[in-house]
Amino acid sequence: MNSVVTGRNLGLLLCLRCHCAVRALKVAHPRCPRCYAHLHMRKPHSLAVTTVLLILAAILYIPANLLPVMYTRTLVEDERDTIMSGVLVLLQSGSWPIAVLVFIASIVVPLLKILALAIVLYSAWRPSARHRQQRSELYRLVEYIGRWSMLDIYAISLLVTLVQIQSFATIAVGWGAGAFGAVVVLTMAAAHTFDERLLWDEKK
Amino acid sequence: MQSLIVCPACDLVHRGDAENAPTDPGRLRCARCRAVLHGARGAHIDTAIALAISALVLFLLGNTYPLVEFHINGATRETSLLGAALGLYHAGHSALGLLVLLTTIAAPLAQILGLLYLLIPLRKNRRARRQSTVFRLIVQIRPWTFIEVFMLGAVVALVRLSAFAKVVPGIALACCGLLMMCLAALTSLTSPEQFWHWDARSRH
Repeated sequence: MNSVVTGRNLGLLLCLRCHCAVRALKVAHPRCPRCYAHLHMRKPHSLAVTTVLLILAAILYIPANLLPVMYTRTLVEDERDTIMSGVLVLLQSGSWPIAVLVFIASIVVPLLKILALAIVLYSAWRPSARHRQQRSELYRLVEYIGRWSMLDIYAISLLVTLVQIQSFATIAVGWGAGAFGAVVVLTMAAAHTFDERLLWDEKK
Repeated sequence: MQSLIVCPACDLVHRGDAENAPTDPGRLRCARCRAVLHGARGAHIDTAIALAISALVLFLLGNTYPLVEFHINGATRETSLLGAALGLYHAGHSALGLLVLLTTIAAPLAQILGLLYLLIPLRKNRRARRQSTVFRLIVQIRPWTFIEVFMLGAVVALVRLSAFAKVVPGIALACCGLLMMCLAALTSLTSPEQFWHWDARSRH
């Protein structure tokens, strides 16, 4: 028997919505007495659901970066922009702080999220006592930065609305943007369905 | 039972009284994984109501006035927050448009209205109907509010467009900036711990 006392050892269910600890082991479908949320010892099917969402996100990450997100049509030329070429356009127009920002938010963050979640998932499949602290912190980082990759989608939504037929150019949205939006939502959902406590559970 | 705090991140059980915990959440961390054990507490309910009303006003202003104006060859185009979502919808990407609509309009509005619905009766020691369900939904919606990301996306769009034409930031952009700060403050003031603390106090 380990000297560490966990909620599981004591038969305590924790409500993740309001952080209320409940002793309800014999109840069939326990609910939080305070906020009425469903209670589980661990999030149900956490590993399986997170793995599926993460694999989908990793697959969609490829079209999100290769397909054009935006088509610009002017009188003189046609241009197709992927996320990376959008960054290069910003860089050439001289606004490098914005270019760096978009590069980090749209390319580094999604890749980092997918890799970090894969590491965290792997260590949850085979729990070990080493590096638990770092993995927990990695997971919290993913949860924190996840939303910032929506940046480009918002920029595109404004560009496509402002630049329309009557003016000198038109902008159309490419399927890269759709894939990109899906990557953001899928990685956020994967982070959400993962149960951090699985990193700390002792092996039976 | 009341004197146990369970860590939501690693399930470690701590002895201590949650009701008398430090009001600053950073000061109460898990002994094993350093996760924050407790949301912020100690705010007055009137502060939260005032912030929610300010957020509602800013939200309405931000949605009535144009976000950005775009001048080219004597023609002017402008767009609002809703226009950005509709722009994607008309461009044939209805799923992306829906995502933008949900994260920049529906989620903040639902959060503000939901909190007002709960807090105004609670201030007079009454409970709104289906209080626990409504609050649980508010907590669930919170991570999907992306106003701050949208702000940055608008800046990126402005920079890209300013290479071609004169771009004027509208009143709504300033409102969105203020709304972003209001919502951040409101979210930390109405942590579940704080909310259920107000609820418990109103029962005495």
